[in-house]
Amino acid sequence: MAKIWTIIKHEYTRHVFEKRFLFSLLSLPAMVLIMALAAVIIALVTTDSSPIGYVDRSGTLTDAVPIEVDGNLFEPAIEFIPYADATRAQADLESEQIQAYYVLPEGFPADREVELNFISAPSGSAQVQFRRFILQHIDIFEGLDPQIVERLQEGSQLTMATVDGTREMREDQWFLFVTPVIAGITFIIVVLTSSGYLLQAVVEEKENRTMEIVITSVTPTQLMTGKTIGNISVGLTQLIVWLIFAWIGLAVAGNFWPFLQDFSIPGETLLVMALMFLPAFVMIAAIMATIGAIMTDMREAQQVSSGFSLLVTIPFYVVTPIMMNPNSALAIVLSYFPFSAPITVLLRMAFTTLPAWEITLNILILVIVAVFTVWLAGRAFRMGMLQYGKKITFKELIGKRETV
Amino acid sequence: MSTITVNQVTKRFGETLAVDQLSFDVQPGEIFGLLGPNGAGKTTCIRMILDIFQPDSGDISVMGGPMSDDKKNRIGYLPEERGLYQDIPLDRCLTFLAALKGMPEKSSSPKLNEYLERFDLYDVRDKKVKELSKGMQQKAQLISTLVHDPELVIIDEPFTALDPVNTEMVKDILQQKRDEGTAIIMSTHQMNQVEELCDRILLIDHGHRVLYGTLQEIQSQFASRDILVKPLTHLPEAIDGVASIRVHNGRHLLSLEEHVEPNQVLKNLINTGTEIAAFEIAVPPLNEIFIQVVRKQSRSQNG
Repeated sequence: MAKIWTIIKHEYTRHVFEKRFLFSLLSLPAMVLIMALAAVIIALVTTDSSPIGYVDRSGTLTDAVPIEVDGNLFEPAIEFIPYADATRAQADLESEQIQAYYVLPEGFPADREVELNFISAPSGSAQVQFRRFILQHIDIFEGLDPQIVERLQEGSQLTMATVDGTREMREDQWFLFVTPVIAGITFIIVVLTSSGYLLQAVVEEKENRTMEIVITSVTPTQLMTGKTIGNISVGLTQLIVWLIFAWIGLAVAGNFWPFLQDFSIPGETLLVMALMFLPAFVMIAAIMATIGAIMTDMREAQQVSSGFSLLVTIPFYVVTPIMMNPNSALAIVLSYFPFSAPITVLLRMAFTTLPAWEITLNILILVIVAVFTVWLAGRAFRMGMLQYGKKITFKELIGKRETV
Repeated sequence: MSTITVNQVTKRFGETLAVDQLSFDVQPGEIFGLLGPNGAGKTTCIRMILDIFQPDSGDISVMGGPMSDDKKNRIGYLPEERGLYQDIPLDRCLTFLAALKGMPEKSSSPKLNEYLERFDLYDVRDKKVKELSKGMQQKAQLISTLVHDPELVIIDEPFTALDPVNTEMVKDILQQKRDEGTAIIMSTHQMNQVEELCDRILLIDHGHRVLYGTLQEIQSQFASRDILVKPLTHLPEAIDGVASIRVHNGRHLLSLEEHVEPNQVLKNLINTGTEIAAFEIAVPPLNEIFIQVVRKQSRSQNG
C-alpha cells in the first residue's frame, strides 16, 4: 500500500506542479472570465441609461411618484422626466439628453394607447419600467377579484407533462437541457486530460527504460493502480478547481442574471452521471494504458489514442438529431456503444423519458467493457513492458497464450 | 544458505529455447560473474531470478524461497535496459526509486546524500536528469541500485560509460559490499573486470551451462603446457624439455615437450646458470577462454 501511495504521489506531483498544468488549469476559467468581461464591456457600451421623457396630456401622471427599480449594469434604472410639451421633449431627444419620450394623449384613460418617440429604440427593460411607472398611477384591475389580479400579475408558467404523467417540465428548468451538454464537455476534457497523462506515464516508462527497475520493486498491479489513481487525481483536481470557479461564477453572475439562480441538477441525473462517467473513465484510462504498453513511442501512441478520444465526442457531432428525436435509431445505437454512451444517455434523459431498464442496461454494458479493458491493460502491460522497440499486435494481445 | 539456487530451469519463447536445464547457485559474500555471448540467455536468466518471467520448468529459490514483495526490497538491480526519469530533478528521481525499495524519504535522504557525495553528484542533485551526462546518469543508476543496502545485487554491465577513475571507485564499492556479505551477480563482456573482481563464474551459451566454477579452476582447466619466464640474464637458445621459445609481452613463453613437467624445466634452467626473476605457468586470459569456448559451441551447434 505504501508503494502504491508513493507512485500516486510521484505521478500527481510531477504533473500538478508543472507550469504546463497550471496553465491548462487556469486557461478555461480565464477564458470564461475574459468572455464575461467582454460581455460587461459590450453592455456598458451599448446600454443606454439616459432618462426617458414623457408628455402627459391625459393628466394620469400628474404628481407622479417615481417607481423603485433595482437596476443593474445590463438593465439600469431609468429616470422619467416630465415635459410640458412635445416640442421641448423632441429638442432634448435630438440633443441626446433623453433616449426617448412617451406621449400620453388625452384619450389615454379610455383607450390605453401611448405614443413612443425615439431615434433608436429604448431597451425592453426601459419600456417595462415605463409600463410599471404608468401602472403605478392607474388601476387597471379595478373591480377584479384579488386572486385574479394576483394571477394576472404573476403571468403564465407553462408546465409540460407526458401523457402517462411520469415526467414534467417547466419553462424555468432550462438547465435540464444545458446540464448534459456542460457535464459532457467537462467529462471529455477531464477524461482526456487524465488519460493523456496516463498514456504519457506508461509510454515514458518504456522510453526512459525505467520499467525494468520499477517492476522489480513493485508488482505490475501496484504500478498500474498507482499510475491510474495518480493521473485520475490530476484530472479530478482540474475538475474540482473548475467547479469552484463555476460555483463562484454562478454566484456572481446570479446577481446580474437572476434566472441563473434557478440552476440545480436533479438527483437522478447526478446518479446516472456518476454511474456512467465512472466506468467510462476507467474504460478510457485502461485503453490508454493498453496503448501505452503496446506502442513504442509517444507520437505513435498519441495518434492511436486520439482515435479513441474522437469516439467519446461523437454525441456532440450529432447533438441536434439526438435532441430532435431522442428515440431515433441513431440515439439508441449511440447509447449502447460504450464510448458514446455516457453523453448520449444524459442528452436523451433531458429530452425524453428513458425506461429504467434501458439506463441500467447501458450502465451494465459500460461496466462489463470497463472490466474487460482493465484485464486487457494488465495483459498488454505484462506482455509489452519489456519489449523495447517492438510493437505488439492486437492478435498477440487477445491471443490465447501470453508470449511472456 | 545460498542467496540464489537455480535448479534445472528451462525457458522457451515460442520456438526459441532461451534457457535449457540450467543450474547454479550464488553465495553470500561473493561476486559471481554471469557471462556469455549476446543472446546466450543471460538477461532471461536474470529476469527469471527476479520473477519478471516464470520458468517453464525447474525452480528458483531466492534468499531461501520464492520471490516476495519483501525480498524485492532486499535486491538491487541494474538492468541492461536502464534509465532514469528524465524530466525531474536527480534527487527527486533517486528518492522515488528508493521509496519503491521500501525506504521512506526520511531514511533515504542522508544515505542518498552520502552516495551523491561519494559519486561526485551532490552539486548536480537539483538538476533535471536529462541535463546530466551519460556517465553521471550511470553513476546515479548505481546509487539507486545500492542505496537501500541490498543483500543481493544484480548488475548488468556496470562499467559502461564510466571513466577509469569512476570504474575504480565502483570496483572498490563492489568489493566492499562483497566483504560485507552481499551476494553480487555481475554480467559483463569486460573479461578483465571479471578476472579482477569475480570469485566464481558461469558461462552460458545458447541457454546451456558451458563453464561453471571458480576463476582459478576454470583457468587451470584451460592452462596449456606453457611457461612464462622472466630471466635476468640471457636465456639459452635451447633448453632441455622445451619445444619452442617465443617472446611474449617482454617475457619468454616456453612451450614444453610432451611428458615434461614444469619443475623439470625449472631445474634445467637453473642448471644452465640462468638467473630468473619470474617463473610461472601460463594461464590463458579469460578472454581467450571465452572466445575458444564460444567458438567451439557454435561449431558444435552448426555441425
